[in-house]
Amino acid sequence: MTSATVSTRAALVVPALLVVALALYPLAFTLPFPRHIVIMALLFATMGTAWNILGGLAGQVSFGHALYFGIGAYTTAYFYKHYALSSLVTWPLALAISAAAAAIIGLPTFRLRGHYFVLASVFIMQAVYIVVSNWSTLGAAIGLELPVHKAADWVDAVWHLQFHGSKLPFYYAALALFVAALVVFQWIRRSRLGLLLNAVREEEDAARSLGVDTMRYKLVALVISAAFTTLCGMFYAQYVLYVEPVSTTSLIVSVEIAFVAIFGGIGTLWGPALGAFVIIPLTELLRAYLSGRIALGMAGSLVDGGVLDYLKYYAAGGGGQLDILIYGLIIILIARFQPRGVLGFFRRLD
Amino acid sequence: MAALLEIRGLTKRFGGVYGNHDVSFDVAAGAIVGLIGPNGAGKTTLFNLVTGFLAPDAGEVRFDGRAIAGLRPDVLNRRGVARTFQILKPFPRLTVEENVMVGALARGESMPAARDFARRCLELVGIGHKAADLARNLSTGQRKRLEMARAMATRPRLLLLDEVTGGVDQPSIPGLIELVARLRGEGVTLLVIEHNMRVIMELADRVVFLHLGEKLAEGAPAEIARHPAVVSLYLGSQGAQRH
Repeated sequence: MTSATVSTRAALVVPALLVVALALYPLAFTLPFPRHIVIMALLFATMGTAWNILGGLAGQVSFGHALYFGIGAYTTAYFYKHYALSSLVTWPLALAISAAAAAIIGLPTFRLRGHYFVLASVFIMQAVYIVVSNWSTLGAAIGLELPVHKAADWVDAVWHLQFHGSKLPFYYAALALFVAALVVFQWIRRSRLGLLLNAVREEEDAARSLGVDTMRYKLVALVISAAFTTLCGMFYAQYVLYVEPVSTTSLIVSVEIAFVAIFGGIGTLWGPALGAFVIIPLTELLRAYLSGRIALGMAGSLVDGGVLDYLKYYAAGGGGQLDILIYGLIIILIARFQPRGVLGFFRRLD
Repeated sequence: MAALLEIRGLTKRFGGVYGNHDVSFDVAAGAIVGLIGPNGAGKTTLFNLVTGFLAPDAGEVRFDGRAIAGLRPDVLNRRGVARTFQILKPFPRLTVEENVMVGALARGESMPAARDFARRCLELVGIGHKAADLARNLSTGQRKRLEMARAMATRPRLLLLDEVTGGVDQPSIPGLIELVARLRGEGVTLLVIEHNMRVIMELADRVVFLHLGEKLAEGAPAEIARHPAVVSLYLGSQGAQRH
């Protein structure tokens, strides 16, 4: 057997085993918290993979993807709260809004190159955050709550996408989204579209001189990438039943989405998933641990006002400020030592 | 022969400086026209104006009888105008074959068709054996050939080559001259920027001499090599004797 056929088989068998393992995981871990951690990891793995279509294949690094997450989350929350229509009904509307937003933002900002595009995405994200935080229709800074629905039977439960607090349906929905994102990413990467996006990433002027309508292909990549991110936002709103600006349309969420891809391996198939499964459980555990410590030590240690207590205070503050500190540190280390991301240490995997 | 490319009164200002000023000339279908001049003469500016990377302030560019000034580079390429770059712009992390496939794919060809055609273009320029290498691992001479193969994959009628032999060692030059002649043999009309007068004398049917953005002379290569303005501003009296 040649090494080529071995690696081709490994390329099929290893992912299949991973998916089976993920499918079996909630049967082994029946408590809510372990399931919640993997649901969140799957959600960010999906968004990181979607981000990677634009950031990895087309080379357009966006720190504004939480906008599309927010479009999904707020569309779901708004229509469920006011009209009792779940994502099952409203997803085409959310995807249409997402595509329109992608076009409105992409047309001017895709004229910018390199760092200027990154900066534009940051500024737009901040502007959107401020608008959403003050928009009373969307509940301003307080946000929107999705009313809890006591489902009569399973048909009713599926219609409302509410399952009496059971995480199992959400778990498998997140897994399905993740697998779909992987399949779409790999399909694009192997296709004509993928090679044209790579050309845009590598040398945009050369691509233009060879007849590539670079604006069009960047927009196509953004719309596909935004669509998956919007679906994740819809999922998130149905899952958490509460939507507010900091956890949906903020720069912090945008950074998290980009970060799992950059950490794991930008442009690779498995990088964003690897990043999400390392980073998300860590931050979830860190938050749980630190907020527990703060609650216990509130009377004593906090009044010292030491640097560590200050950090703990912010970590427990709900905004996850300590995460950002750690992300920043890791990004510096990756940029310095392994720009290909963690997967760069295992080049043969990709 | 009818003119494939007509340039009339082409003018481009950068602030107070003229990149090109009232430049007019024709490129006949099937010809090789050489564009020469000292650094800063406006040769690359003219390329950028013709290929859509810059829009002129005044004047006209007609390709196959239709006005093209101000159209986007990708639109112009799909109409049949291709170029290479003085500062080479390969897609460094793609393979040589993938580099060349891009032009064919942008014209709507399928992956297998683009791959076949890329192979043929690579054979044409003589780097077929490098197809699987990453473009960043090529030598300068090979990169020049890669840019030509990539441009040829877009099936151009007019090809603008910015410095065919610049930065290439002396022994490689005859091969590049032969290659440009072969491209003409494929039915492509060529406009070529070139500093090496020996290359120009051997290849070009006509030569246009630019200086400070203006056309100072145009004619057959032998006439241009003797032209007083060209000799005094560009070649120097010794240069004129050498060539």
